[in-house]
Amino acid sequence: MPRVGRLLHGAGLLAVFAVTIFPFYWMVSSSFKTQTDLLASPPVWLFTPTLANYAEVFADQKVVGAIVNSLIVAVFSTGLAVVLGTPAAFALARYEFRGKSDLWFWFISNRFISPIVLALPIYLVAQNIGLLDTHLVLILVYITFILPIVVWICTDQFRSIPRDLEEAARLEGASQFDIFWRIYLPLGVPGIAVSAIFGFIFSWNELLYALVLTRRAVQTAPVVATSFMSGYELPWGKIMATGTVIVLPVTIFALLVSRHMVRGLTMGATK
Amino acid sequence: MPRLATTGEGAGTGFLRLEGIEKRYGAASVINGVSIAAREGEFVVFVGPSGCGKSTLLRMIAGLEEVTAGDVFIDGARVTELEPAKRKVSMVFQSYALFPHMTVRDNIAFGLKMSKVPRAEIGRQVAEAARILQMEPLLDRKPRQLSGGQRQRVAIGRAIVRHPKLFLFDEPLSNLDAELRAQMRVEIARLHRELGVTMVYVTHDQVEAMTLADRIVVLRAGRVEQVGSPDELYDAPGNTFVAGFIGSPKMNLVAATVTARDGAALTLANPSLAAPLQVAARHGGGAQPGPGIGDTVLLGLRPEHLMLGDGPNRIELTADLSESLGGSTLVYAQTRAAEPVVLQAAGRQTLGKGEPFTAGFDAARAYVFNKDGHAF
Repeated sequence: MPRVGRLLHGAGLLAVFAVTIFPFYWMVSSSFKTQTDLLASPPVWLFTPTLANYAEVFADQKVVGAIVNSLIVAVFSTGLAVVLGTPAAFALARYEFRGKSDLWFWFISNRFISPIVLALPIYLVAQNIGLLDTHLVLILVYITFILPIVVWICTDQFRSIPRDLEEAARLEGASQFDIFWRIYLPLGVPGIAVSAIFGFIFSWNELLYALVLTRRAVQTAPVVATSFMSGYELPWGKIMATGTVIVLPVTIFALLVSRHMVRGLTMGATK
Repeated sequence: MPRLATTGEGAGTGFLRLEGIEKRYGAASVINGVSIAAREGEFVVFVGPSGCGKSTLLRMIAGLEEVTAGDVFIDGARVTELEPAKRKVSMVFQSYALFPHMTVRDNIAFGLKMSKVPRAEIGRQVAEAARILQMEPLLDRKPRQLSGGQRQRVAIGRAIVRHPKLFLFDEPLSNLDAELRAQMRVEIARLHRELGVTMVYVTHDQVEAMTLADRIVVLRAGRVEQVGSPDELYDAPGNTFVAGFIGSPKMNLVAATVTARDGAALTLANPSLAAPLQVAARHGGGAQPGPGIGDTVLLGLRPEHLMLGDGPNRIELTADLSESLGGSTLVYAQTRAAEPVVLQAAGRQTLGKGEPFTAGFDAARAYVFNKDGHAF
């Protein structure tokens, strides 16, 4: 029975893996196919790869510009959310103050609302203060999404830091800021890294608000990728290559940051 | 050895002084009016069972815990509301509380850096601390690369570089294995001798208390049970709690009846005692009325004061079990009234279960406690 169970477990994992990885595989492999190979039925599995689609993508100023826009928006929204969220998380993790649990709930409740509900009001506000089609409006909107994630994950991370460390630092003359800056931030890196990845991926992939709040100047990568779908012909090769190019920065960022996500960074502090 | 303050109650002078300290968490009272004083350079140990409030008391001296009522004085200054860093105290935590992301060097230098000591001076101080604690080769390692004993040493190093007026130790050895614990104990004693700084040390281990302390404060349920030098507590425990806590194995307590009283001298009888026992009061006997004829008292006999075979006084026992410690043997036995008695006999003894034997003792080393536990 355990043997059968293990087999079933393995088969299940394999099925999930195949289902999740297949679209990704299809996107990457299609990006190297010619239009003929792409539309072949039944699909061809072995083909002569071509870089023509990529050449087309990088020749398209719109795509390159969109990736730059996405980078600006993702880096600033994630960065600002971390800068604002970690002190908030520190306070929530280590201080007792009135309304603490309400504030905590408020942070989480921001994520209860379906984004579409707020799309129109935010559009109207942005229009009235002249922020439509700017990097700033996307950065501000994305921060409202990322900040709760940062606060949420980092509060938990900071709570797991042994209190003795803070007390030892206090005895040594560290100010509250020193304690935050020299103890909690370095030891909170795993949580900060996780929330930064979430935030970055969110900003990078976000489509709804990018579509609603931008026109020409600040179109982000997902908006441009979908824009290829209009018209009479679907340039699948270019769409797939664009998709691959869009996925690349997040993947690289995630790989860079994952190094810091190791558990047990606090090992050796106590005991 | 520094001279000892005479009393634990409301001592008016001292380098470290606690006056009427109370601590309550809501309705729960943790410390109930503690007043003690320590002289400069003294090594004071707070000892007691877990939950007695000894760590809380230490944390209140450090300033990590607020005082509900009472005052803390360090070096003549009232520090009750002063923040921890300004009290000029260093603390070694049970968990060591080393900063895991910093090297040993940075851990030791942390406090100096916080007080903006010039870099060259920090280097000198760290080197000096490393020398005293013999850990120069470890300076560039991270805490996780160190053994428990080495971590403890780093924690002590971090404490000494700041030249505190007062050292606080919160059960610093309880995470170490037995051998290392003994070794570090000696090292802490040496450190105290070398630095000559006042130290307050919290432990639940009576061996640490006995070996390290100039003076022991025995705490129970947030109250001071007795204050005195290790020998004073051993020789004249104020009550059965202190008697049971100081000394290992614990003091035996056997019920006995007072058959005669002549001032501070009592005559006791017990079915297991071979002959009526004459005992003199250790605490003067006059301070309290004390037991009268016909009263039941507790006769305290330390295991190490009971000898197999003969002695000036004798008690008849029945053996249950013997445990050889190599050099000596612990014999677990019973009186005729089935009260447990342990005795520590020299050499190796083989007493089987149910074997009757006689243990001898000197009445001068017997203790008498009232029924309520107070020493007579």
